[in-house]
Amino acid sequence: MSNEQLLALLPFMVLAGASIVVILMIAARLSHTAIQVAGFLMLCFTVLAMGYVRDILPQEILPLFIIDGFAALYTGVIIFSVGVVGLLSYIYFEEREENPKEYYILLFLATLGAAVLTISRHFVSLFLGLEILSVSLYALIAYLRNRNNAIESGLKYLILAALTSAFLLLGMALFYMETGSMEFNAIGQKLAGSDPGVLFKLGLALMVVAIGFKLALVPFHLWAADVYQGAPAPVTAFIATASKVGVFAVLMRFSLAVNLQQSEFLLNVFSGIAIASMILGNILALRQQNIKRLLAYSSIAHLGYLIVAFLPGTREGIEASVFYLFAYAITILSAFGIVTILSTRMKDAEDLSVYRGLFWRKPLLAAVLAVSLFSLAGIPLTAGFFAKFIVLLTGANYNLWLPVIVLVLTSVIGLYYYLRIISTLFASAPAAEPRHKPLHPFFHFVTYATLFVLMVMICVLGVFPGPAIEGIRQFLMIR
Amino acid sequence: MLRRSLASLGMTNTSSRHPEPSEASVRDRRRIKERIMENYLYLIPALPLAGFLILSLLGKNLSKNLIPVIGAGSVIGSAIAVILLAIQYDPENPVRQILWQWFSSEDLSVAISLSVDALTIVFLFVITFVGALIHIYSAAFMREDRDYARFFASMNLFICSMLLLVMADNLVLLYLGWEGVGLCSYLLIGFWYEKPENSRAANKAFTITRIGDTAMLIGLFMLFQEFRTLYIPDILNNVSQHFESGSATLTTIALLLVGGAVGKSAQLPLQSWLPDAMAGPSPVSALIHAATMVTAGVYLIARMHGIFVLSPEAMAIVAIIGAITLIIAGCSALVQTDIKRILAYSTISQIGYMFLALGVGAWSAAIFHFFTHAFFKALLFLAAGAIIESLHHEHSIFKMGGLRKKMPLIFYTFLAGAASLAALPFITSGFFSKEQILGYSFGAVNGNPILWVVGITGAFITAIYTTRLMVVVFWGEEKTHVSHLPGPAMTLPLVVLAILSIAVGFIEWPHNLMHVAVFSDYVQNVLPATVERENIAPPLVLQGIAIFMTLFGIYVGYMNCYRKPIWKANNYQTPLFQSLRNFWFKGWLFDDLYNNVFVKPFLFITTVNRKDIIDKIYTGISNGASQLHRMFSVSQNGSLRWYIGGVLAGILIIVTIQMIV
Repeated sequence: MSNEQLLALLPFMVLAGASIVVILMIAARLSHTAIQVAGFLMLCFTVLAMGYVRDILPQEILPLFIIDGFAALYTGVIIFSVGVVGLLSYIYFEEREENPKEYYILLFLATLGAAVLTISRHFVSLFLGLEILSVSLYALIAYLRNRNNAIESGLKYLILAALTSAFLLLGMALFYMETGSMEFNAIGQKLAGSDPGVLFKLGLALMVVAIGFKLALVPFHLWAADVYQGAPAPVTAFIATASKVGVFAVLMRFSLAVNLQQSEFLLNVFSGIAIASMILGNILALRQQNIKRLLAYSSIAHLGYLIVAFLPGTREGIEASVFYLFAYAITILSAFGIVTILSTRMKDAEDLSVYRGLFWRKPLLAAVLAVSLFSLAGIPLTAGFFAKFIVLLTGANYNLWLPVIVLVLTSVIGLYYYLRIISTLFASAPAAEPRHKPLHPFFHFVTYATLFVLMVMICVLGVFPGPAIEGIRQFLMIR
Repeated sequence: MLRRSLASLGMTNTSSRHPEPSEASVRDRRRIKERIMENYLYLIPALPLAGFLILSLLGKNLSKNLIPVIGAGSVIGSAIAVILLAIQYDPENPVRQILWQWFSSEDLSVAISLSVDALTIVFLFVITFVGALIHIYSAAFMREDRDYARFFASMNLFICSMLLLVMADNLVLLYLGWEGVGLCSYLLIGFWYEKPENSRAANKAFTITRIGDTAMLIGLFMLFQEFRTLYIPDILNNVSQHFESGSATLTTIALLLVGGAVGKSAQLPLQSWLPDAMAGPSPVSALIHAATMVTAGVYLIARMHGIFVLSPEAMAIVAIIGAITLIIAGCSALVQTDIKRILAYSTISQIGYMFLALGVGAWSAAIFHFFTHAFFKALLFLAAGAIIESLHHEHSIFKMGGLRKKMPLIFYTFLAGAASLAALPFITSGFFSKEQILGYSFGAVNGNPILWVVGITGAFITAIYTTRLMVVVFWGEEKTHVSHLPGPAMTLPLVVLAILSIAVGFIEWPHNLMHVAVFSDYVQNVLPATVERENIAPPLVLQGIAIFMTLFGIYVGYMNCYRKPIWKANNYQTPLFQSLRNFWFKGWLFDDLYNNVFVKPFLFITTVNRKDIIDKIYTGISNGASQLHRMFSVSQNGSLRWYIGGVLAGILIIVTIQMIV
């Protein structure tokens, strides 16, 4: 391994170091606040390290990793999401749990797993990344173990993830049988020219199960609502953003390497999955009264939209999907941020009644939630609109008419339940409850400021998407 | 900002070395002069816009003394800018400033760009100068109002939109201004929104002008389809190569534009909103519904003259619309009792003259009449507002009376305005502008004796109702006590406008009497000259008849109103006359006509279709979606084995499909 290759891995090493730093700090009995600050600093170092290594990219570390602009983009979105999740976590866990510190170990490990997925070019690294991510998530989901649903949802996730991992392994084995290689590019080269054999197709179909499960696509979506509901709100935000970004990144890289979109059969399978996800996600969310479950269904639909950008398998598709994921991450983070900040000691703020008349009590929070819901619904001048628009454009350019039409129609259905929440926000207020003095004024302020910044980002990306698109394009040139 | 740009320009001037004033340096200086003008062109609409923003955002927190300073100050500022611009203006080089690209999409590229030529300057001058006077007047007039800031905010937004309308050099920006003034008109007619009839009047004005706007929008679409651009100079330059004279498409476009103009300028058949628009405060009537917005239609036709020149039919229709409107509105003005409604009908009638002039191709005469009309009609409205306020909000002229002694200043200024409206020969501006229109309605190639006769009749009627208004309001006995006299902030604009109402006429004399044609020379670069027929009656005879008719009208009005108050005399009590009077009083029953032809059938259809049939489709979709939601919700039962079953079913389906395929 040359120096440059080692250097290129620096951000990932810093990220891995973050967990170790946290462990050491716990051993030294430092306070939650110190750990929070240290964790945040480690994330900042990761970002700095990414900036530092930018010039030497791309680097291929045979046979497991490749670090290029593509990976940098997806890792960037993951780090960004985790940074926000970390900020949101402080107040949430400080108020609920006597041992909030170990949470950060798991969070950074999960992040590392997701980040490894973005740079893997080999089945081994893929599987390692996926398992680091999943194992951390089992514990994260069940972290508030005294709560009713926590253990249940953690177990559900564990069993289903184990099941689908088994399918993934079997799929990989089939690939290996067919091509004699576990490297994406080598598999692609073996397959080039020749018609893919039946084992290859079967292997792919089995892999689709694992990927579909992680991305919560229909028909592997059934866990989503229960887990979203049972997990602590910041962890839900993590599942909705970082974990999905990582899995989607590896799916994209793999499909580009093996020219997955060339196969009409697989194209149809993915179209079918996308269409089913869009329809079912939106319909399930329609009359949902629990906001965490509602966001779970909405995320099913949104991943369906995202798959439309994945279908063409071109540069434009990648651009659209990165932008979409970024916009989606900001939006969903601000939505879960509101859920987090409104949650009480006993219960997450998941019932819609909590939000009744929020605007009259806490106008800033209501505004952030309203903007993020508008963005999820794809109303113009928000990031969500433009993201959906370029996905549509990509789909239309490649004549994927059926998914595109379904996208448009289901967006209309989606509008209903987003607007339903927004109208609840502005409904006449119930009697004002006594104002609690925030326990941690500084972190309270930081959380508010973060949410405000997220809201501004949603609007700015919606009005001036040009620079962001241009930035994405430049990063994708590094290959 | 301005000074800084001047300084920087000065530096560039010294650095470009020209030791002695050569031709090049003269050209240089001219170029620099232009550049200075270009640099501050945007200030003209930006100042009122800034005023609007400040007043609407901070209005509630500003003191009552600061509000008029911002509201009127911004307009005065842009008036000063316009005057500076007019001084520097070089007719050879129209000025253009592109601020930024608004949007562009394939062929359609729209810039926020302003440009100024002589026609624009005339409008700019009237808008900002008369606007500034009216704002000063309003500072005193509206002082006691609860929504002082809202009033000035709307007025400033209006000025900004109107300036955009006349400075725009593409039709999209023009349309933005066009809709902006419509919006402000709506807001200001309904300014006292607590009274339902005011809101109703505002809705009526908005709805009726929308009809015209829609026609205009279609016209713009067609223009774009034909020319692939909406940049006005390009359209005007290419129109003659693109179309033959009298082409059907071009006539359609022209008529659609006329539709917009007719709606905005309250001409037949969309005139019925303007009398009701008098529900707004008097300064609003003076500014929007007399001096500026209602003449936007005139501006539009004059601006797009290249299209109309090639379409004689459209021109003829414009002339006929103007002729009919001026008579209809004049007759209605004869019998009104509300002072502001009299003036409103008179406005409709005077704009009818402008349309008549446009229709016969007397472009400069139309704009000149706009110019003089803006002064004297704004004056009349402001004076009427002062009277109304002093008489405890009394609108009926028959409850006024005897104000000549009580309010002498108002009397003299009103007299100046009324004389100008009646076109009293040789001493009023109205005479000079109307005389031109009458002369061309006979003498221009598109003119004919019938139009001339109609115009003369209109002048006769105008003289009668003006005299009636004057006599009833200012002579006779005092019927309502004058509570207080208007202060200097209200009288100063009146005096200035009164002087202008008299004086501005002298810049343009009938060409057979004296060779003074400042105004038509000024606009000759922009508007084509009027083509006259040959072998017609000597102008002196026509002028003589016109003067005679005016004086005769004044005499008739005087006899009827002063000697024996007109509507009380026995010989007017016959049923026939009463019904005619009623017919005119209600504006020729156009409201009832539209009510029966459009509103009632529409309401009938809506009642029939109360349970909207089309709605059934949507309720069906939403019911279906809810039904599906219930069905699929069953799948989310929380049972792990069912979830695993789901995953396995998924993989089975995929594998099966693969095997089959």
